[in-house]
Amino acid sequence: MPNPSLVLDHVTKSFGSLRAVDALTLRVPHGCIYGFLGPNGAGKTTTLRMILDIIAPDSGRIEILGRTPPAAKDLIGYMPEERGLYRKMTVRAVLAYLGAIKGMPSRDASRAAARWLERVGLADWAGRKVEELSKGMQQKLQFVATVFSGPQILILDEPFSGLDPLNLDLIKDIMLEMRAAGKTVIFSTHMMEQAERLCDFILLMNKGRAVFDGTFAQIQSEYESRAVLVEVEGDNRFVQALPQVSAVRAIGKRLEIELSAGADDQDLLRALLQRTRVRSFEIKVPTLHEIFVHRVGGSHE
Amino acid sequence: MSKILAVARREFLETVKNKIFLINLVLVPALALGGAALSIYFAKQAVGGPRETRQIVVEDRSGLLADDLREAFAQHNRRRPQQPIALTLIEPEADAPTTGSEELAARVRAGTVHGYAVIGPGAVEGSDKCLYYLKARNLADMELVSTVQQCLNEAIVAVRARRRNLSPKVLDEIRAWTSFEQIDVGEQAGGGKRSEAVMVMAPFFFLFLMFTGVFAVNQQILTGVIEEKSSRIIEVILSAVSPFQLLTGKMLGAVAAGFILIGVWGGAAYAAALIKGIHAAVPLSVFVYFTLYFIFGFLMVASFLAALGSMCNTLREAQSMMTPAMIIFVLPIIAWFYITQQPSGLFAVVLSFLPPITPMVMILRIAAWPEIPLWQIAASFVLLALSVPAMLWIAARIFRVGILMYGKPPSPREILRWIRYA
Repeated sequence: MPNPSLVLDHVTKSFGSLRAVDALTLRVPHGCIYGFLGPNGAGKTTTLRMILDIIAPDSGRIEILGRTPPAAKDLIGYMPEERGLYRKMTVRAVLAYLGAIKGMPSRDASRAAARWLERVGLADWAGRKVEELSKGMQQKLQFVATVFSGPQILILDEPFSGLDPLNLDLIKDIMLEMRAAGKTVIFSTHMMEQAERLCDFILLMNKGRAVFDGTFAQIQSEYESRAVLVEVEGDNRFVQALPQVSAVRAIGKRLEIELSAGADDQDLLRALLQRTRVRSFEIKVPTLHEIFVHRVGGSHE
Repeated sequence: MSKILAVARREFLETVKNKIFLINLVLVPALALGGAALSIYFAKQAVGGPRETRQIVVEDRSGLLADDLREAFAQHNRRRPQQPIALTLIEPEADAPTTGSEELAARVRAGTVHGYAVIGPGAVEGSDKCLYYLKARNLADMELVSTVQQCLNEAIVAVRARRRNLSPKVLDEIRAWTSFEQIDVGEQAGGGKRSEAVMVMAPFFFLFLMFTGVFAVNQQILTGVIEEKSSRIIEVILSAVSPFQLLTGKMLGAVAAGFILIGVWGGAAYAAALIKGIHAAVPLSVFVYFTLYFIFGFLMVASFLAALGSMCNTLREAQSMMTPAMIIFVLPIIAWFYITQQPSGLFAVVLSFLPPITPMVMILRIAAWPEIPLWQIAASFVLLALSVPAMLWIAARIFRVGILMYGKPPSPREILRWIRYA
């Protein structure tokens, strides 16, 4: 992995006696979407806050695009889980201020703000106070505030929580555009479906440690499937008696078959074909959710 | 640095655009000037204004003074036609006790008679005293005492003069008062008149200016920090600037707004003083000291309120935590009169070296009496130069931890831990 955009090297952070993040090591390449997954209290937000230099690690090293976290602040766009803006300021003034503290020249900031407000359909609201905007509009404004300074890295803490469907699509589009432009998107979530669809890489965290770090395909291959989903014509009660089968569960018309030890899924297919016509035969791929539950075990709520 | 200035700029604009700030900016001088004008008016009314006729009963046991008393009171009524006194002379009872009549004392108590005087039999010879019964309710009553006393003395002196065969004309010559004007020598020659009112009010004016200026502006720091915390924008801000940059920017913005406030107030006060011709009464050095102490006092309170705001989630929480601290900050206000009366007393000196209120107490003392020992002024600046950065440092450490904390405000022990480990 040449020149990763983000490196964490044995990063540790404790709060009192609680080890929020424990010797976490991570390399995030350019131009990817990286998902931080884990139950509440796994250390996702603490990790993100350390990358952002909001809090300092007790030990370990963080490097962002070759810089230390304090020096990299202007390269990152951040959207925290708890969202909020200055309610009494106008949309334009909020963006001008956030641009200024991100080190943008004021002319660039106002141009970028105008372009983004236009894109999300808030151009007519630029002179209004934030508190006059609807909740959905405030969500849009929050995205704009995160991305309009043109960051190299986007860090989103639980970006999908509480979004209406339109804004959900909007933020996903923005994430994909960023990746296409060669930038890096890091986000935390506990919504597995979203992560499955969007992520190139996954960091699975539990109790401050990395439980898994890699691509989605890698994690699936680790969980060799022991189940198939089949649909056959006519009476399917014979299936239970086949030697390859240890358990059967009916899901609508389909059967979820658990293979017996040492059995091959292709042998099962042949056995089925000898008795009847097979409408569908699918090797069940474990979902992220299942892997998650399996890996994190009882601590997942 | 540009980030600090960006924060300062927003903080400044938010402060000066705030309605409360604008109201303070305009209304406080208007009220203060209006109040001063009114109090001067009422004070004049109290001393020289019209009054109802007051009833004075005099019992002359010497039996020599009746005519001269009537003349003395008549003269008073001619001099002060707006404050007439009605004199009733009563005959002494033959063998009355020397203490005067209980019945008349009761009438004084009831308010139908304003005063009741008993002139001793040997008053003219100087061997007896006069008794005066009164019920003092206000300043006007006190002033009446001296008027009555003066009239009685005039009558007695007139009798004595006649015994020595002095003509009334000679007597008037003897009595003629020489006029008397008070002139304070001030700091230097040509310092101008320094009336007593200015000497008492100038220290209070500077104290008031400092206290109100410091708290009116720094209120914005407190509400601003709590707003940023409760609206959760603080994390976004901290992803762009460090807590130290944020705190510094806030303070710079507030200091700028503070100077606008005291500039306007000080300007208005100077203009008013110019109109009244007492502008030269306060030496220039006091203004210089004021500016220096204001900066220190301002930063002290600003860092205190920033730390406090960072620990709280709502304004109500902040107010309840602020109350104990405010007791210290209002000490100079409570004690101002005492301090101006004894600007170098032990009490004033001790309060001067309590860092949170050092600026307020020192300016009070300097304005009250510019000659307070130089070593104390120097010591106060050394103390502030040490304690204000210390306070800023402590505030920065509390701020950095507190601003990301939600839930219950921390206990004093937790705060100490934040300061040590943050």
